[in-house]
Amino acid sequence: MGYWLFWIAGGIAILSAFAAITRMNASHALIYLVITLLSIAVIFFLLGAPFAAALEIVIYAGAIVVLFLFVVMMLNLGRRAVERERQWLLPGIWVIPAIMAGALFIVLGIALSGSEHEAVIEGTMVGPKEVGRSLLGPYILGVELAAVLLLAALVGAFHLGRRYIEERREK
Amino acid sequence: MFGVDWSYLLILPIVLGALVAALVLVWWERRVLGWFQDRLGPNRVGWFGVLQALADVIKLVTKDDWVPPFGDRILFILAPVIVAGAMLMSFVVVPLDAHLIIADTNIALLWFLAMSSLAVYGVLLAGLASNNKYALLGGLRSAAQMVTYEVFMGLSLLGVVMLSGSFSLKDVVEAQEEMWFCIPQFVGLVIFVIAGLAETHRLPFDLPEAEHELTAGFHTEYSGMKFGLIMAGEYLALILVSCLIVVLFFGGWLGPGFLPGFVWFGIKVVLVINFFILLRAAIPRPRYDQLMSLGWKILLPLSLLNILVSGAVVLWMAS
Amino acid sequence: MEGPLGIPLEHVLYLAITLFLIGVVGILIRRNVIFILLSLELMMNASALAFVAAGAYWQEADGQVMFMFILALAAAEVAVALGLVVQLARRFRTLDIDAASEMTG
Repeated sequence: MGYWLFWIAGGIAILSAFAAITRMNASHALIYLVITLLSIAVIFFLLGAPFAAALEIVIYAGAIVVLFLFVVMMLNLGRRAVERERQWLLPGIWVIPAIMAGALFIVLGIALSGSEHEAVIEGTMVGPKEVGRSLLGPYILGVELAAVLLLAALVGAFHLGRRYIEERREK
Repeated sequence: MFGVDWSYLLILPIVLGALVAALVLVWWERRVLGWFQDRLGPNRVGWFGVLQALADVIKLVTKDDWVPPFGDRILFILAPVIVAGAMLMSFVVVPLDAHLIIADTNIALLWFLAMSSLAVYGVLLAGLASNNKYALLGGLRSAAQMVTYEVFMGLSLLGVVMLSGSFSLKDVVEAQEEMWFCIPQFVGLVIFVIAGLAETHRLPFDLPEAEHELTAGFHTEYSGMKFGLIMAGEYLALILVSCLIVVLFFGGWLGPGFLPGFVWFGIKVVLVINFFILLRAAIPRPRYDQLMSLGWKILLPLSLLNILVSGAVVLWMAS
Repeated sequence: MEGPLGIPLEHVLYLAITLFLIGVVGILIRRNVIFILLSLELMMNASALAFVAAGAYWQEADGQVMFMFILALAAAEVAVALGLVVQLARRFRTLDIDAASEMTG
């Protein structure tokens, strides 16, 4: 049963990812992205990684895409933006990216099929306790570096936003 | 047993029970607010106004089902569904008794946090799709408040997780057999209550949706059953946060043996809900920037300190 | 879930490759900077799927640890990138990424 659920979730992920990049309206595309993220979270649950699945929903679908929606709402694009998108997305520009993507897919497929033995995922659960032990054990340096990275992003985002606020005050 | 998971039978009772409880709460809250504010509550419809919720539902269902003409039709209809649906999905992990849980997963608390993160979308999309300046501003403010207080909700839960050693709600209740967590984790309880109030945007945190501020905020353009669904989602969120406070800090179904576990759970949840209604009656509404600075400047250091001290005490007691 | 699941690792990796390539195509064909960032998030998610699948195959926690690092990276990148998007929108009055094609000013 888990096998079929994987195919269903994978199919939904691919369809909504494709829908996300072809929409004209930015908020519709973001909702399709949320559907993709939720189906990837379902696949994580199936693979026995429930901690990763919950974190994906909380942080990716629940904070990062919300930030995207904030910016879309702030910029308040309206109907003219939808018309402009329709002019920008012509059918002719699909040809070369599709050929490149197809070539890349074939190359990666050849690389994947090189191994002989069958690698099958058993689905035993790796719970939050093991992940926590691993994070604060061998990977503690990575955690500290991620904290420094987030601090740098915090300072950068504050700086970029601050100039906008000061420009508004001048007007 | 027979390869069938008997906890699937609990889905319908718990979902229906939550919805009926939300309906009853509509009437009960207005009655209790009337008592606190020294006035009569609803008393026209039925004995003591009990049928008030039914009257409200009939009124909402028979209203004109209207979508704003230049707004985004799909997102406008989707938003109330997300608000109510995300809150209903969180009831899957709430334990009523030792064996009355639909899903006893080992990440139950994270599932609750995930569903509250998804509930932000309802508010954001409602503000976006309404084609109304007030709704846009109200939606942005409400969503920013919800995202902020989600952080503190998660951080304040970590003390409980450290004391019980697991994210599973059943383990959390079973770890409270000697002492309920409201005593060692009192700071965590206070922060979780404040954050829970802000997540469900109730008073005192309902500035983005109050009637005189921003002309009702993100649900300005909603009428009829869509508005009813948003209100139902809010009451469901209140019941959910009360259930979680009881499970995490007040011992869940534990109590003296003369009553079954879920009766104790019900009594405690009713007491916590009445406490929230009291807060609504008694506390004035802070300004939006006061609200956000309370969160980031006071609650964030306090919750981090709570994690630090809890971790230190747990490590010291384990050695 | 009890019992062996039986999903071949190759199939999950093919899914990750497909999502990654949809993200690449999305970056190449769209001019609106928000859609480009969206496709970038899709690519990062596809690589995160590959990591978690590999970790699940070896039944180690390393896949999920790498996923958490990718999450922190994505959050940091989105915060700074959206700040830049707001600046772009205010200065050039458009979200067309070809408008910011000069190195000065």
